[in-house]
Amino acid sequence: MNFVTSSMSNIYLDCPDGETRYLLFRFENGEFAELLLGQGEPPQAEFKISGKYETFAKITQAELSSHKALMTGKLRLKGNIVKALKLAAIADRMNKVLAKIPASY
Amino acid sequence: MTTDDPYFIDFPARIRAIQSAMAKEGIDVYLGSRLRTLSWTLDAFAPWRSFVVIPAEGLPTAFTFVIDAARLEDDSWLDEDHVMGFAPMGGQDQIELIADFIKEQLPPEKGRVGIESGMSNYLPEGNLTHYEYERYAEALPGCELVNAHTIVDRLATIKDEGTINRFREASRIVDIGHQAVLDALRGGGWKGKTETEIAGLAAHAMRKAGSEWEWSFTGGNEIASGYRTGLVGGACTPASRRELKAGEPLMVDLHAMFKLGLGDHAHNYLIGPATDRQRWHANNFTDIVDLTLETYRAGITPSDLAEQMIGFADERGFADYMVPGFEHGIGLMGDEWRIGLNDGPFPYWTNPEHEYLCGELIICAMQYACPDEDIGFRYENPIVLHEDRCEPLSKFPLSIDEIT
Repeated sequence: MNFVTSSMSNIYLDCPDGETRYLLFRFENGEFAELLLGQGEPPQAEFKISGKYETFAKITQAELSSHKALMTGKLRLKGNIVKALKLAAIADRMNKVLAKIPASY
Repeated sequence: MTTDDPYFIDFPARIRAIQSAMAKEGIDVYLGSRLRTLSWTLDAFAPWRSFVVIPAEGLPTAFTFVIDAARLEDDSWLDEDHVMGFAPMGGQDQIELIADFIKEQLPPEKGRVGIESGMSNYLPEGNLTHYEYERYAEALPGCELVNAHTIVDRLATIKDEGTINRFREASRIVDIGHQAVLDALRGGGWKGKTETEIAGLAAHAMRKAGSEWEWSFTGGNEIASGYRTGLVGGACTPASRRELKAGEPLMVDLHAMFKLGLGDHAHNYLIGPATDRQRWHANNFTDIVDLTLETYRAGITPSDLAEQMIGFADERGFADYMVPGFEHGIGLMGDEWRIGLNDGPFPYWTNPEHEYLCGELIICAMQYACPDEDIGFRYENPIVLHEDRCEPLSKFPLSIDEIT
């Protein structure tokens, strides 16, 4: 998959402080163009993946696969799934990068 | 496909026509679910549960099972932003996905959504199920769901040139299938062959000629031999493993699809030696088919035609063997059986007083059955209705061929 232009926001519901947060990635023509972290309503993105904070935490700690989380309804994808499938390999790599960032939950 | 292509259909114009009718009926979004609506709007075959959402303005969006969404997009005139897949995943099941999409087309918590409800004797019709209706109603609070299929039915009644040309080509392919069957049966070739084998060799010839599939839900190519040709009122004969036998009739009803246009033509045989009584039945049948084709034209109604033809059969002494129906509706894949609108005395059946218009396309369908003598014949052929005649699209010569 080359020269991808797309955007995806992960929406973390029920964060420990009760708030909703988002992490948005934007790619333009294959280049990583933007990363946003914020609180509340996320900006427009081609794909939105929403789920509870604890679900994302389990995925990042490799206790739960994102695939299983989607299949069981723990994560909710908004966007064209056919296009999402084309971009799945990129999303997987992004998740692996995220998993390497030291974090405490 | 360019506008000078013989198979060109102006699908964007069809969508605009639906949107114009929606505006007149105060419908904000049309949720199509019937196979006939999907074919008529998408120009692609949608074998899995699918929907088309038509907004008040702009392009429609199709939704189908995710495993077939990329193929549907590839076949249709819509781009990847207007063909979506649904899947058993969070946010992606068909109710949530489509309801969310519809909400984006409507003012908050209000709007009229046209749906397709009703009944049909055709199993793959695709009306919204009771369960789907309840789930959509629940997912679209404040919206009114109204039955609106008449919008599409009305617009689809008269066939455009591209549609008729697709049927012409599908019919040409069916004729190739019939020639292959005739060639295989001749000179003792029928010996040892089964009904399923006849169905298969016809399918092979038609696929070689470009048919996409033997589209009929009645089992593809319908083949009957011996007593199966004469089953009471029987006009549905999926091929069986029955072997052809000398002295028996054989009914070969072939189906081909070309760009959603449907070929449907039946031809009949007597496997020799034939008796004079069998030939009497055969002549009755070819004579009434001839007369029916001479009689069909715009302005006539199904009941007028049936009355005239049964009158003829009565005079000739074979009315008892005629199934008293002479047609069924047809359109792009998924549009089968009912002719015209749902305005007859029996809900969702053809109105016997439907007055045919120029440019309508139907299947002339006739069944002759004499169960006591284990003999029957079938005729089917797509016909276009003109002002003073009908145009049969399959050209395979009408006869009941005696095969030795």
